[in-house]
Amino acid sequence: MTEQIEKALQREYEAGFVSDIESDTFEPGLNEDIIRRISAMKEEPEWMLEWRLKAYRSWLEMDEPEWAHVHYPEIDFQSISYYSAPKSMKDKPKSLDEVDPELLKTYEKLGIPLHEQMMLAGVAVDAVFDSVSVVTTFRDKLEEAGVIFCPISEAVHKYPELVKKYLGSVVPQRDNYYAALNCAVFTDGSFVYIPKGTKCPMELSTYFRINEQNTGQFERTLIIADEGSHVSYLEGCTAPQRDENQLHAAVVELVALDDAEIKYSTVQNWYPGDENGKGGIYNFVTKRGICHTNAKISWTQVETGSAVTWKYPSCILKGDNSIGEFYSVALTRGAQQADTGTKMIHLGKNTKSTIISKGISAGKSNNSYRGLVRMNPGAAGARNFTQCDSLLIGDKCGAHTFPYVESRNPTAIVEHEATTSKVSDDQMFLCQQRGLDPEKAVSMIVNGFCKEVFKELPMEFAVEAGKLLEISLEGSVG
Amino acid sequence: MSNWLNGAVARAESVSDWLAPKRQASLALLREAQWPTRKTEAWKYIPINVWDRTELQSDAVEVNAVAESIEGLNSIDLVFVNGELTSDLNDELPAGLSIVSLADASADAQSWAAETFASVKPSRHLFGLVNDVLATQGVLIDVAAEAVIEQPIRIVNVLTQDSEAHTRVLVRLGQNAKASVVEQFCGNQRSKNTGFAEYKVGESARLEHYRFALQTGESLSIGGSHFELATRAELNSTLVGFGSTLQRVDVDVTHAGEHAFAKLNAIYLLDGKELFDLHSTIEHAVPHGTTEENVRGIVADNSRAVFNGRIHIHRDAQKTLAELNNRNLLMSDRAEIDTKPELEIYADDVRCAHGATIAEIDKTALYYLQSRGVSRSQAQIMLNFGFINELVDEMPNDVLAEWLRPQLRDRFAAMEVK
Amino acid sequence: MLSIKNLHASVEEKNILKGLELEIKPGEVHAIMGPNGAGKSTLGYVLTGRDGYSVEQGSAELDGVDLLELEAEERARAGLFLAFQYPVEIPGVSNLEFLKASVDAVREARGEEALSSKDFLKMAREASKQVNLPADFLKRGVNEGFSGGEKKRNEILQMLLLKPKLCILDESDSGLDIDALQVVAEGVNSQRSPDRSFIVVTHYQRLLDYIKPDFVHVLADGKIVKSGDYSLAHELESQGYAWLKDQPADEAATNDVAEG
Repeated sequence: MTEQIEKALQREYEAGFVSDIESDTFEPGLNEDIIRRISAMKEEPEWMLEWRLKAYRSWLEMDEPEWAHVHYPEIDFQSISYYSAPKSMKDKPKSLDEVDPELLKTYEKLGIPLHEQMMLAGVAVDAVFDSVSVVTTFRDKLEEAGVIFCPISEAVHKYPELVKKYLGSVVPQRDNYYAALNCAVFTDGSFVYIPKGTKCPMELSTYFRINEQNTGQFERTLIIADEGSHVSYLEGCTAPQRDENQLHAAVVELVALDDAEIKYSTVQNWYPGDENGKGGIYNFVTKRGICHTNAKISWTQVETGSAVTWKYPSCILKGDNSIGEFYSVALTRGAQQADTGTKMIHLGKNTKSTIISKGISAGKSNNSYRGLVRMNPGAAGARNFTQCDSLLIGDKCGAHTFPYVESRNPTAIVEHEATTSKVSDDQMFLCQQRGLDPEKAVSMIVNGFCKEVFKELPMEFAVEAGKLLEISLEGSVG
Repeated sequence: MSNWLNGAVARAESVSDWLAPKRQASLALLREAQWPTRKTEAWKYIPINVWDRTELQSDAVEVNAVAESIEGLNSIDLVFVNGELTSDLNDELPAGLSIVSLADASADAQSWAAETFASVKPSRHLFGLVNDVLATQGVLIDVAAEAVIEQPIRIVNVLTQDSEAHTRVLVRLGQNAKASVVEQFCGNQRSKNTGFAEYKVGESARLEHYRFALQTGESLSIGGSHFELATRAELNSTLVGFGSTLQRVDVDVTHAGEHAFAKLNAIYLLDGKELFDLHSTIEHAVPHGTTEENVRGIVADNSRAVFNGRIHIHRDAQKTLAELNNRNLLMSDRAEIDTKPELEIYADDVRCAHGATIAEIDKTALYYLQSRGVSRSQAQIMLNFGFINELVDEMPNDVLAEWLRPQLRDRFAAMEVK
Repeated sequence: MLSIKNLHASVEEKNILKGLELEIKPGEVHAIMGPNGAGKSTLGYVLTGRDGYSVEQGSAELDGVDLLELEAEERARAGLFLAFQYPVEIPGVSNLEFLKASVDAVREARGEEALSSKDFLKMAREASKQVNLPADFLKRGVNEGFSGGEKKRNEILQMLLLKPKLCILDESDSGLDIDALQVVAEGVNSQRSPDRSFIVVTHYQRLLDYIKPDFVHVLADGKIVKSGDYSLAHELESQGYAWLKDQPADEAATNDVAEG
């Protein structure tokens, strides 16, 4: 029975193709000169370069974290190229018509058409290809509402005050090894600013694509929701199928000012490597948001890709009555390893957090939830509820739960629960006896297991997530 | 590195007895070991440096301390005062039971004990290694196959001012044997001790176990009870801990044989500036094992409790049932609770769950009692007691439960009412 | 016995009671009826001093003692008893321990001698027999694993033991079958006396058929909007509460004072 289930979960990595695009790629290596060259390519002001160099010098003194439940060979940071951009992007195309058709074809193949007339209505996309942003759609429409949505490299020039004020304000440069590295070498990513009292008129989305060989992608995203504003943001990612491992070390910072709300959804589908663990992306990501008074940040993630995932989208609940949420589905197969979870740091009074984590392990994979809930002395009346469920498929995988719960306020209430289960033979038999094939049966069971998380995804993404898990989402969305 | 540890290693070099080969192996590990810091996961929340910093007066006065017996328990008492065995082991023992001093072991006892020593307790514990090399005092308890020992065996460690003590207990239960062992620690003055016990519970044997870690005040105490369960063995263990300047207890169970059953209850009650750190690892190495673990704590005033409960289901341990529940009441805004229940699972056909809660006393229940005329402070004591009493009620030995209850009540009464 | 004047109270900054007036003389049984959300349960909680219920205005006195100044337990010792709509479960604390602590505290406040454990046990056993609770219930945790009916009977049992001056029964009939309802009613009727009064809060007339009240009040939107005798309960049962809304509030209040 297990074999049938595993077969049902196997699928081709459809985004594994390589685009034939001529690129300007730096030679591998990391030193201050490389950082100066990245900064020069982006024509950055001096303060930005200084900021990068400071981070680089910190990074040199830091150690790679070893506490996660993942194993991989030592990364040679000198063998990675830290910048790669399609040649055609050098002239900075002014409109979509000037963009290399091969690039547009790549996104089309990935199901992300960048021509506005072809696009999903209501979703603005920033498409990042290796180290540069190719195009950001629907900008005019967003500008009408006062919403800024542009590549972060552009924001450094156009909105230096906002960038200076908030960049590194949620994730300090020295926060961790990969965050420091990102600060030094980040190349592109998205910048979002929602003005006071504004409800962003459409979903914002960034699609990250790694194409070039031996490169790392170090994207940086900064989202600022001003007082009383509201935004929903989606992130997707894919990479070609290669035998070598590639590094993706992103930093995402969210700032939700008083009464603001940010919903951040991710469908992560980096190349996971083959069944034996050859190739795949190392996904070492730092994501964190800060909530001011009455603000809310909601993280939803569907993690299906990457050879190794190390990722803890977190909330600092600084303001009174602020709310943090984390909804996660992590599916690991083959030799994948995921160590993911969240941190909820309760500082303000009556702050609330909810954590729902669903881990599905199959094959020889290892899937860990790692979380921290901290009630600081000021968090009077705060509340947390955490539910971590693991589903094991087969007897060669691992499912682990490492929750840290720390409380220093007697009026705060923390509740943590974790369970583990399997797709039982009885469930499979029942489905099959009712005429379902094993694939459909597994789909249904896994879908049911993930339901609480899927219902948090925006409609467009829910469909994509469903496709990724090869399961029908009928009845669980909307 | 720690001065104290360097000194301990130096002292260990002069220890030479029948356990020498075992001690040498541990000493080698100890020489390589790092003194824990805040970054050491197993000591993350506890400032272990207090152990290093605390100076004991070397010209400590000899004290003729005695251990009070427990009325009605009718136990076989083995008393250590500052690490020295003071009980006479020549009294007649029930048939099938053998108890000998570690320092004075017969060749027979040496053979099984040498095999057991440091084989049940994992070598990762720094202070376990310290105990391996320094514990020259201890007892070896052997319960023959089929023997049912009705009298509880009580091992008491009394620590007085400025004492340092390292004691070791090794217990073996033969097939179908049944016994009850109580490990009790007392003393409230400045002292340092490590007390580790290793239990090999044989096929279908039943062990009832209590660890009363009741040291308080300025005492520093680190120790553990470690169990290995053979096929169909049954363990019922209760830990009760009060805090002190430093208290760390490890309770580890390895399911080495199929269909074994472990029930672990633990209680900690902290007040003042006390610390208590409980670590528990359950290794399900084989299929069909069952573990039920319930841990409850009340943490008042400026105290701090740490709980780390790990359940590790190995690749082949199919059909394991394991549940861990940790509930805490936080009584003050200066107190802290850090809890980390962990699951590490490598087998799919298992049922595992854990839960942890931290909350304050139930306000509705408090009001209910007040509305019946009970004062707020008394209501608080009753509710705290009730929260803990559920586990006390589950203790199989009623005499011990009765002995414990007034002590718990005294603790609750002393807790500052907010 | 009980005198409530212009009582305004709120919970979580929401005004629930808005100028409630009520006078109860010794030996009287008053029923309070009214639609959901009218403030019926709030009245019981405010009088007995539950946390989170704050009084903005007005007074409540029990035999001349200002209740609102007292802690919850002091009110209980002064003779006020609330039979909870949802009795609280307290695992680990046995009923016996709970009842003894409670009875000791109340007796001490009255200047009565403490009961010996033996006498208390005897009294508790008799009382549990009276409300049809099995003998082993005294050893069990407070309300732990009790059925709805058992919980309500346990409330009545506590009333029997504490011998309060004024008992408030907060929907003691809800969720009860006819047998349990009779037990509750008999418990109350057995305690009726010239120096003990009752407030029976209920949604339905059903309980009032067994406990005949001297007065019936309708509580709506935080005030007593109509008062009458037992026949008012029948009227409400057949016509509901809607017709009361048409009455001018002033008139209702005047009636209330006139009749109270």
